[in-house]
Amino acid sequence: MTTSLLNETQAKQEEQFSASCFVSHSGVSLKPAYYQTILENRPTTGFFEIHAENYLSQGGPAAYFLRQIRQHYDMTIHGVGLSIGGENHLDIEHLNKVAQLVEEIQPAYFSEHLAWSTHDQHFYNDLLPIRYDKDSLDRVCQHIDQVQTQMKQPILIENPSAYLTFADSDFSETDFLREMVKRTGCGLLLDINNVEVSCFNQGKKAIDYLENFPLEAVKQIHLAGHTLDDNPVVALKIDSHDEAVSQDVWSLYQYTLQRLGDCPTLIERDGNLPELVELLAEAEFADRIRHAVKQGGLVNAS
Amino acid sequence: MHRDFIQALLSQDKSLLYPLLKGEATEKAVRFQVYQNNMVVSLQDALADIFPITQRLVGETFFRAMAREFLLQQPPTSPIISEYGAHFSDFIRHFEPAQSVGFLPDVASLEYQLLQLTHAAEVNTLDHQSIATTFDKTPDPSQLLIELTPNCQLLHAPFAIGSLMLANQQNVSSDHIDINESEYILLHKHFLYAKLSVISFDQACFIKALQQGTTLANAVPESDDFDLGGSLAKLIEWKLIRNIALMTD
Repeated sequence: MTTSLLNETQAKQEEQFSASCFVSHSGVSLKPAYYQTILENRPTTGFFEIHAENYLSQGGPAAYFLRQIRQHYDMTIHGVGLSIGGENHLDIEHLNKVAQLVEEIQPAYFSEHLAWSTHDQHFYNDLLPIRYDKDSLDRVCQHIDQVQTQMKQPILIENPSAYLTFADSDFSETDFLREMVKRTGCGLLLDINNVEVSCFNQGKKAIDYLENFPLEAVKQIHLAGHTLDDNPVVALKIDSHDEAVSQDVWSLYQYTLQRLGDCPTLIERDGNLPELVELLAEAEFADRIRHAVKQGGLVNAS
Repeated sequence: MHRDFIQALLSQDKSLLYPLLKGEATEKAVRFQVYQNNMVVSLQDALADIFPITQRLVGETFFRAMAREFLLQQPPTSPIISEYGAHFSDFIRHFEPAQSVGFLPDVASLEYQLLQLTHAAEVNTLDHQSIATTFDKTPDPSQLLIELTPNCQLLHAPFAIGSLMLANQQNVSSDHIDINESEYILLHKHFLYAKLSVISFDQACFIKALQQGTTLANAVPESDDFDLGGSLAKLIEWKLIRNIALMTD
């Protein structure tokens, strides 16, 4: 993405607010560092996405600013703690809290991960990998059913970023996702950075993965940055969310939209936070690709 | 299978996990290390966010080493990470390398309480004008019951950690503080954020009496030094008064 686009976005932010929403314009992650800027400048963006677990307190700045910002913007809620792929039962108390937040905020979608993070009463604060076997599929589907019943709506499940592979799997990841969608009626959140990261780490072609992906179930796309761990044993891409979206991910995004059609998109950022205008410029660039694809054209991602 | 994964995450013992994975042994180690690193670093970062002054007092290197020991022994029990660390203070109290900083557990405990108060629901309190009106209308204000907000907590700390915290928060020198002096500390909420104030013994007695529901007259401590007007002014300034009612028999 070019500096000129960044300047252009900055200029646009100063123009009069024009109607934009989850469906029409791409969005960005909501972070505490951006609260004041958002309320003071009311930048044009499609939506903001929050992590549910950061907004479950009864008071304080997170609770307050979420509700202030929600008055002006569409939102999506992304869960990072339900442990959908866990071997234990879901934490009912936690599910209730998240469902209550979803009920109040009325996001365009609630999404979670095809991963686990909780085991025997402990939470490990990372998205840990599941083995793609029949037992996992049964458990994941049961947990998704439970969440969807509680929330009275279909949820989206995100494809994971992977660093290792289990020896005894019954399914490929894309077949597992397809079967999961078929059984539960959930939608998918396609994280294209995770596709790039996982395929690189597993020595597979991202294009092949996308060819096999159940695109018909995709309701939202995530784009994010990654870093390269160039260690001598095996180079790995790390799903760090602390960099701008990389060129290879922009290319895959364009490729995906050509097959999928237009799709609501989030620029996801969790660390090394830039000025808000830089994230908005990335969302603007995603919109430019979406527009070009709709017109049957291409955008140079460099 | 997840139990084997967790055992590998929390210890050096990968003997049960590695047979479940594809690839060469050295490669498995590098790949698994990403998950271990994600967990350790993200929780170290979380603890540094929750306990910033504790980290500043001992330095980042020491803090992160101590946090690592803690998180491997006591991982979070909730996905709400801002609630993590309720037992960090107790851990520090028994953490051998931190024994030379005797007040450190109390600082950590204070930081934790402040953060939890920040996240507590806000409670409406009376403004200056309505309090003044009530006092003016009451023939004998000494019989008033002053109800304080639940968002205020009294602490008696064995060290001068309130003054130390304030100096660190304000980035001023703490050289003048005698850390071995005990202190009375009031935690209260200002708009969305918890704050602390160091108060006198008399003020602490006064606030405690009000919290227990005694009349203004009975809440005033028997001390020549107590400044009732000044103390009431502080309660108003800190927006602690939730309701005022006349004592009825």
